[in-house]
Amino acid sequence: MRSLSLSTRMIAASALLALLVAGVFALLIHAVLTLDDARDREARSKEVTAAGVELEKLVIDFESGLRGVVLTGDSRFLRPAEAGRRQLPRQIGELERLVAGDPAQRRRVQALRVAIDDYVSDYLIPIGTIARDNPDAVRTSLATEEAKRRTDAIRATFNQLLATEDARAAASAESAETQSRRAIVLGAGGLVAVALLIVLFGLYLVRSTAYPVRNVAAAASRLASGDLSVRLKEGGPGEVGELTHAFNHMAAELERRERELELQNELLRESERKKSELVRIVSHELRTPLASILGFTSVLLNRDAAPEDQRRYLEIIDREGRRLSALLNDFLDAERLDEGHLALDRELIDVGRVVAEQVRLFEGQSEKHKLDMDVRARPLPVHGDPNRLAQVVGNLLSNAIKYSPEGGTVHVVAEQDDGLVRISVRDEGLGIPKELQEGVFGKFFRGDAPASGIPGSGLGLTIARSVVEAHGGRMDFESGRGEGSVFWMELPIAASN
Amino acid sequence: MRRSMYMLVAVVGLAVPAVYTWSSSAAGSGAAIGPSTIRITSRETSRVRVDLGRPGRGVGDTEVIRQNLFNKRIRSKPIGFSEYVCTFTTPTTRACNVTIFLPKGRLVAGGSIQYQELYELAVLGGTRLYDNARGTLTVIRTTRRPRRQILLFRLAG
Repeated sequence: MRSLSLSTRMIAASALLALLVAGVFALLIHAVLTLDDARDREARSKEVTAAGVELEKLVIDFESGLRGVVLTGDSRFLRPAEAGRRQLPRQIGELERLVAGDPAQRRRVQALRVAIDDYVSDYLIPIGTIARDNPDAVRTSLATEEAKRRTDAIRATFNQLLATEDARAAASAESAETQSRRAIVLGAGGLVAVALLIVLFGLYLVRSTAYPVRNVAAAASRLASGDLSVRLKEGGPGEVGELTHAFNHMAAELERRERELELQNELLRESERKKSELVRIVSHELRTPLASILGFTSVLLNRDAAPEDQRRYLEIIDREGRRLSALLNDFLDAERLDEGHLALDRELIDVGRVVAEQVRLFEGQSEKHKLDMDVRARPLPVHGDPNRLAQVVGNLLSNAIKYSPEGGTVHVVAEQDDGLVRISVRDEGLGIPKELQEGVFGKFFRGDAPASGIPGSGLGLTIARSVVEAHGGRMDFESGRGEGSVFWMELPIAASN
Repeated sequence: MRRSMYMLVAVVGLAVPAVYTWSSSAAGSGAAIGPSTIRITSRETSRVRVDLGRPGRGVGDTEVIRQNLFNKRIRSKPIGFSEYVCTFTTPTTRACNVTIFLPKGRLVAGGSIQYQELYELAVLGGTRLYDNARGTLTVIRTTRRPRRQILLFRLAG
């Protein structure tokens, strides 16, 4: 199940809290309203009771007047009652108004109204009239009993009405008391519950928001101070999870870019070093032949030399000029290799022949060295660029001679083996120490050569290996300090047809 | 003699069941049978006194009174009538037998009447709807001319 986002959780928690608060307040309001209602009912019951008692007092006045008439036969005793009659409609109306919302009591009041009206109109008034006409008629026991019967009936209705209202007032008072207690309990409970919920909500906010933000801030500080390895524990609700994930991603990206920058810096430093090396090599390698050329040219121009000396000087100038040219070609080839523009003019050739031509070319260049060629199969067909392959073989031969300053035999073997043409050049020279072997095919690598006074640009093997690899072959060597070296290359043999 | 006549007129007001017949709400009763209190009014229409013996009111004189019965809370026209037949037992007291004629039966009341302004009779019985009626009839005069009365029945069953 997908985790809810922090916003959703906060909104949900706030809504829940608001709902609970609203619920508590609704209960409180309900309790207060109920209490208010109970008090209203109690007050109304008391008002009904008061109005009922007032009305009953009127009836008692009637009864007292009537009793006076019955006892004396004098209708003047009814005068107060007649005055009371005028108040009767107002008082009954008031009572009816007070019980208007209570059907049962309303019926009782209506019955009371009828009973009182009947009592007044059917008995009180006629008795007054009769008392004037025949006082003896109203002094009978019948008159007394009838009056009692009627007032008893009215009083019974009054009692019923007032008892009901008393009971209601008592019930309302009790209900008001109960509601009051309930409101207090609800209010106190609600306040405690709301306070508790607010605290819980605050704790939740701290746990879900403040802690993660604090962790992120601490991690960001460490990141800012350079510790790019810092990572946060991913997870947490919604946005917090996204934040930790984004932070970790940012830190990883910063770390990766720093590594890249360091690598680029390293490359730049290497490039700078190579550039310096190039400048040094170029200046050194060019200066030597150039000095020779300039020196011998100056001698030829300023001195009278014998014809044989002049020729020898010119041969030196020619050789150094060619050396300069070869150097420049090497630089150009290295540049082409860097740019990936090494062009090959390939054709089906016999590599054995190329090797033989190069061996012949290098024979006699040094009196101390002997070139031993062993071409074990003819032809050795390869689909390749004859000039470039000749350049490679020449480079290997040149190196073998240069790095064998004490002289010795240079063995050149060309053979066919398992679909490949293998050419190896072995010398008996200085050899390459193990610690330097790794960089042999690198640009401008010259190992111990500068210390040994061996000239060179350090580009030959780089170019040679690139040419061989451009032909689909490979080049490598075996060597050791003082053991001489064997450089070999393998080229795919061309199909016989 | 005049007093006797008045008393007879009052008895004519025994029209309680009639009220019930015309409208159950008129007198606040829901049934002719069973405890109830019923109120109607009457108006005297005729009074005849038969003077027997010595002239003037005396023992043995007879009085016959006829009244119309009303329940004006329901309608203004009479709902029935009543007949009093009274015999004087003393110069001021008479024994009366009252028959109340109503649409669904008759009621019979009887007893001694001393003051015709206020008296009480026993309900002795009835016919049809008022069969076996029992209780008291209290009569109060309200006006002298014309003679009107209020009749209040308190029936036991």
